[in-house]
Amino acid sequence: MIEKLRIMQGGLAAAPHLLRLGRLFSETVLLEVDGEEFYLTFEKGHLRHVVPGPSRKTPYRFAFRTDAEAMMKFWKPCPEPGFHDIFGLVKIGRGRIDGDILSLVKNLRFFKEVLSLPRHQPEDAA
Amino acid sequence: MSIEQIIGRYVRVEIAGVPQRIYYEEAGEGRPVLCLHTAGADSRQWRHLMNDSDITAVNRMIAFDMPWHGKSLPPEGFETQEYLLTTEAYIETVLAVVQALDLDRPVLAGCSMGGRIALQLAALHPERFSGFIAIEASDFQPAWYDIDWFHRPDAHGGEMGAALVSANISPFAPNAERWNTLWMFMQSGPGVFRGDLSFYTRDESLIPRMCQIDTQATPVHIIVGAYDLTCTPEDAARTAAAIPGATLSVMDELGHFPMSEHPVGFRPFFLEGLAKMPAWTAN
Repeated sequence: MIEKLRIMQGGLAAAPHLLRLGRLFSETVLLEVDGEEFYLTFEKGHLRHVVPGPSRKTPYRFAFRTDAEAMMKFWKPCPEPGFHDIFGLVKIGRGRIDGDILSLVKNLRFFKEVLSLPRHQPEDAA
Repeated sequence: MSIEQIIGRYVRVEIAGVPQRIYYEEAGEGRPVLCLHTAGADSRQWRHLMNDSDITAVNRMIAFDMPWHGKSLPPEGFETQEYLLTTEAYIETVLAVVQALDLDRPVLAGCSMGGRIALQLAALHPERFSGFIAIEASDFQPAWYDIDWFHRPDAHGGEMGAALVSANISPFAPNAERWNTLWMFMQSGPGVFRGDLSFYTRDESLIPRMCQIDTQATPVHIIVGAYDLTCTPEDAARTAAAIPGATLSVMDELGHFPMSEHPVGFRPFFLEGLAKMPAWTAN
């Protein structure tokens, strides 16, 4: 999982349009996969830190929680229905969003496109 | 260089006693097919089918922008109004356009909230239409989001709305059409998407009316995309099952905006729907 997140971090650094979209986004987001925590710290759109948990001391703005199989299906180049979007995962019961959801919605395009960046990498990149 | 066959005009009608100047486009000759756009968008969603010469050779395709949408301005005094679409106003709008354009029992093709109102009209005013193609249409959909997200002073409702509805677009959609589809939501006026969703997610009045629909007199064909999170194939199947004689097609590789997000993929399903409508002869 951490390798995928590194791909995401590198992909974002190489995507000027996403950095522009996220220029006002400076928050920490918790991504939890199979109970494993990853704290993603964004600064003005850049993903500065990817820090594995667990942590009870790291504040985060919102969290997206899912399972590894669902996340891998989400990252397929052409995901099956329900696995093609974070709200799809929520709707089919494979994902959960909590925290400051309005912060997510205000930055929804940015966050969704950043999270899907590993989708565009070769399968063996991770 | 080329000039498309679509022609746009304005029609002036009164809806609930309020003057409205409604923009509509049309292309083709033959059986009238009145097309309704989704929430938060406009008639441009139908542009591909309206430029399809096979379709327009035998069909007069007509699509209009609901008041507050696209090139239809909101009514005078809108600056102090809260836009909230209702079933009654929506029905009156569609019937006013049918009358103003002197359409003789058109096929009504609507997508999403347009599909919902098509089913309402199938139940309440079937004599005005020859048949109904209800796309991404269901009996009722409660919101899986907070509709107030899309009308706030501290964020751009259109951009948020587009980011939300992108969840309903199939990964098979060509990238250019995905973004053309989302652009319409980005352009939507303040509070308009929210006002449409108020109708779509809060009005359950269709449910008890579906048994009134007589598909022998006016056929109902429902089309749904597998990637539609808002109106899922299960929602559409439940709706079709509640309408005796209604038919259903599921599109495995399409989402909630099929005519706009993936017109090539949608085309055979729309043609199938048109083929299920009664034969038409000019008066």
